[in-house]
Amino acid sequence: MILSEKIQLYAVTLLKGAGYTISITVLTFCFAIVIGLVFGAIKAYGDRRGGAPKNFTTELVIFVIQRLALWSINIFVEVFRGLPALAVLFILYFGLAYAGLKLDPFTAAVFGLSLIGGAMLTEVFRAGFGAIHAGQREAALAVGMTPMGALRDIILPQTWRVTLPPLANYAIGLLKDTAIVSAIAAPEIMFFARNLVTRTFDTEIIYILVAIIYFCLSFPLARLADRFEKQARQM
Amino acid sequence: MIEFLAVYNQNWHSWWPQIHSAIYVTLGLTVCSYILAVVVGMVVALGRMSNSKTLQWISKAYVEFTRGVPTLVILFLIYFGLPGLGIVLDAFWAGVIGLGFSMGGYIAEVFRSGFQAIHSGQREAALAVGMTPLKSFLNIMLPLAVRIVLPPMLNMLILLLKDSSLCALITTPELLLTAKDIASMSFLPMHLYLLVGVIYLALSLPMSFIARLVEARMWRGMRNI
Repeated sequence: MILSEKIQLYAVTLLKGAGYTISITVLTFCFAIVIGLVFGAIKAYGDRRGGAPKNFTTELVIFVIQRLALWSINIFVEVFRGLPALAVLFILYFGLAYAGLKLDPFTAAVFGLSLIGGAMLTEVFRAGFGAIHAGQREAALAVGMTPMGALRDIILPQTWRVTLPPLANYAIGLLKDTAIVSAIAAPEIMFFARNLVTRTFDTEIIYILVAIIYFCLSFPLARLADRFEKQARQM
Repeated sequence: MIEFLAVYNQNWHSWWPQIHSAIYVTLGLTVCSYILAVVVGMVVALGRMSNSKTLQWISKAYVEFTRGVPTLVILFLIYFGLPGLGIVLDAFWAGVIGLGFSMGGYIAEVFRSGFQAIHSGQREAALAVGMTPLKSFLNIMLPLAVRIVLPPMLNMLILLLKDSSLCALITTPELLLTAKDIASMSFLPMHLYLLVGVIYLALSLPMSFIARLVEARMWRGMRNI
């Protein structure tokens, strides 16, 4: 078989993998944003509450719940920022299977990467909320908005300036990190590539193709990240 | 819970020697690839700041490449791809080279932003009082840049520690691969991967603590610059 035919054949298979890679990336990104937003908001605003103080027991219960939530979020963030992604995936896939909970590779991959991404984005959103002057929230509450409404309509739109550049960089990192989920046999580019290699032994061609595909996928994201960074600097 | 921990107690003497040597492999990978990444990053950053258009273009392309291609793909290309061209590396050094070169692009960006953050007047003043370009770089620019660059550089070290686990997939006998080997023999995956996770945390948490301390300390008394 001549080289161009080979490349065409491999590219078709690898591009099928690219579809899976994109869906893992998009799903994980959405879950990570949800985790990051909720935990980030709790970390930034979890130690306050509006309204007049009620009786002693209610205050105590609220205080304990707040502390517990903050502690567990801090532990979550530290643990998942300190663990290698591969170790998390192994624990979730091989470890949980041993404990009796058999996740399929795709679910385990999205779950594990979402936890890691969530821990990272928690800090990103906390920093974003922290960059907004406290007066914004106070003014919103003073004119009668609910705390949730103030967060959604006043604070969140202003945080994008701070959070968009790290979010775009996270998306690039995530796209690259999906390569490791092939280690738990989740279908994506690397997984298809490794299968191809064991069948054809065209190691260099296949992995160079893989590198090109990843590069083509992440290049637009990188340009987007650069634009966000430039915009953030100008503001 | 007690039963779960008792398993560690039973197997500790057979696991620990292997885990112990694997910790050193992981640390060796991290340190060696960090040194390589710093050297590569320095060279690429100098290339990006040079006056030659070709050098600028090459180093920009390098940074874009490492930013866009997963470390795992680079490791596979080096370990499984290079033997086809007649270059056979053992798994440890393939890991060091792969990690070093892929992190080098990021470190180059850190250096570049560090030097760009310094006001150009500093260099001009140094040149004006008669310092050579090299001397102005070493005595004026570098001490200023270290302040800006050191905290992200420490974070890069933590990232490399975590990324060194990728070398398990190219058969470097580091922590995660050792755990996988023991797990496949003893059928106790949960115990071993949790143990390895705890070890990674024990290595990375002090580092991130130090990184935060350094970051807080570096800017003492420097708020106005």
